[in-house]
Amino acid sequence: MFFHIVLERNMQLHPRHFGRNLRENLVSKLMKDVEGTCSGRHGFVVAITGIENVGKGLIRDGTGFVTFPVKYQCVVFRPFKGEVLEAVVTMVNKMGFFAEAGPVQIFVSNHLIPDDMEFQSGDMPNYTTSDGSVKIQKDSEVRLKIIGTRVDATEIFCIGTIKDDFLGVINDPTTA
Amino acid sequence: MSEKGGKGFSLPTKTTPKSALKSTPASATARHDDNSAKSKRGRKVQFGMEGLPNLGFNFSSPKSDGKFAIPVGKGDWAKGGKGEKVVNGGKAPVAKEAKSLELRVEQELPENVKCLMDCEAANILEGIQEQMVMLSQDSTIKLPESFHLGLQYAKTRSYYTNPQSVRRVLEALSKYGVSYSEICVIANTCPETVDEVFALVRSLEAKKSRLSEPLKDVLDELGKLKKST
Repeated sequence: MFFHIVLERNMQLHPRHFGRNLRENLVSKLMKDVEGTCSGRHGFVVAITGIENVGKGLIRDGTGFVTFPVKYQCVVFRPFKGEVLEAVVTMVNKMGFFAEAGPVQIFVSNHLIPDDMEFQSGDMPNYTTSDGSVKIQKDSEVRLKIIGTRVDATEIFCIGTIKDDFLGVINDPTTA
Repeated sequence: MSEKGGKGFSLPTKTTPKSALKSTPASATARHDDNSAKSKRGRKVQFGMEGLPNLGFNFSSPKSDGKFAIPVGKGDWAKGGKGEKVVNGGKAPVAKEAKSLELRVEQELPENVKCLMDCEAANILEGIQEQMVMLSQDSTIKLPESFHLGLQYAKTRSYYTNPQSVRRVLEALSKYGVSYSEICVIANTCPETVDEVFALVRSLEAKKSRLSEPLKDVLDELGKLKKST
């Protein structure tokens, strides 16, 4: 889910950036450092929407660097346990399938796929019901529920299920 | 412990009536081989999945176990007992599982956080992208990949023409005790029936009797606001 959140960060600036454009340099450094990163607490920082406040700079002892505390608003994307969202399937194998929702990767294990869906290997591996009416393959859109998340330095990885009511394939790329 | 493991399913509390896994012992051994192959890839995966005891699915770090323990198959119970999150009863895990799968956004995030619906997020991100086109003289500022993925995702998920009217319609629900994050989930998933809402947002089931009527009205209103594709 997307959130609009105010975060704070201490930015260190080298003296060569001081001068008339100090604030612009600070903001562009902030954008370079923060946009695209990911943390466990807030999720992916997708974009910075504004700077709320730049505090007074503090010169670091021994070096000429100055630390500025910056408060900024940003849009973050963080998946939550229990959240229902729609993802696009990227890979199917006999252990389950991988899907992507925005910058987040989700894995749905075959244990969390309804029992009446069987794995079919081949050029386009897929999961199909016994009567062939529903198929999950690459580029299918599925609605799934997140049941667990893991964060590492650069990305968030989730486990999902489609075994509940109203979950599963939304549209089939072959029939669309 | 190993004797218990040897008996397989003779432990009465461990037979899960829900039986999410209807696997036979033959297929279990096949899966067991797959799992050991997978664990050899050395993927260190550790998930917060305390709400899933019925599946007996333990993603354990290779340090302790290295294998995916499944409650089918005789030898696995011994390994399952190594202090990991295992099925420990009949009824208690079922209630626990339902609870832990509820959306608990408000508890986990600080208070000044505002949930955004996908359509609102799409508007904001599109605005930023337009600004970046103007600022692109500075080639060192490049939008990260997660921005493009996020924007694409938000655009494909925005079904409504006007986010403000959606917000107003859904705000009617907040006086019934529906939290902001639950409102966002309802908006994002675009449900068509009241049953769908209760199935997708389990935390609302407690207020089912109070919410059914207002929800029906809200869903009708949302239907009118949907973009015609």
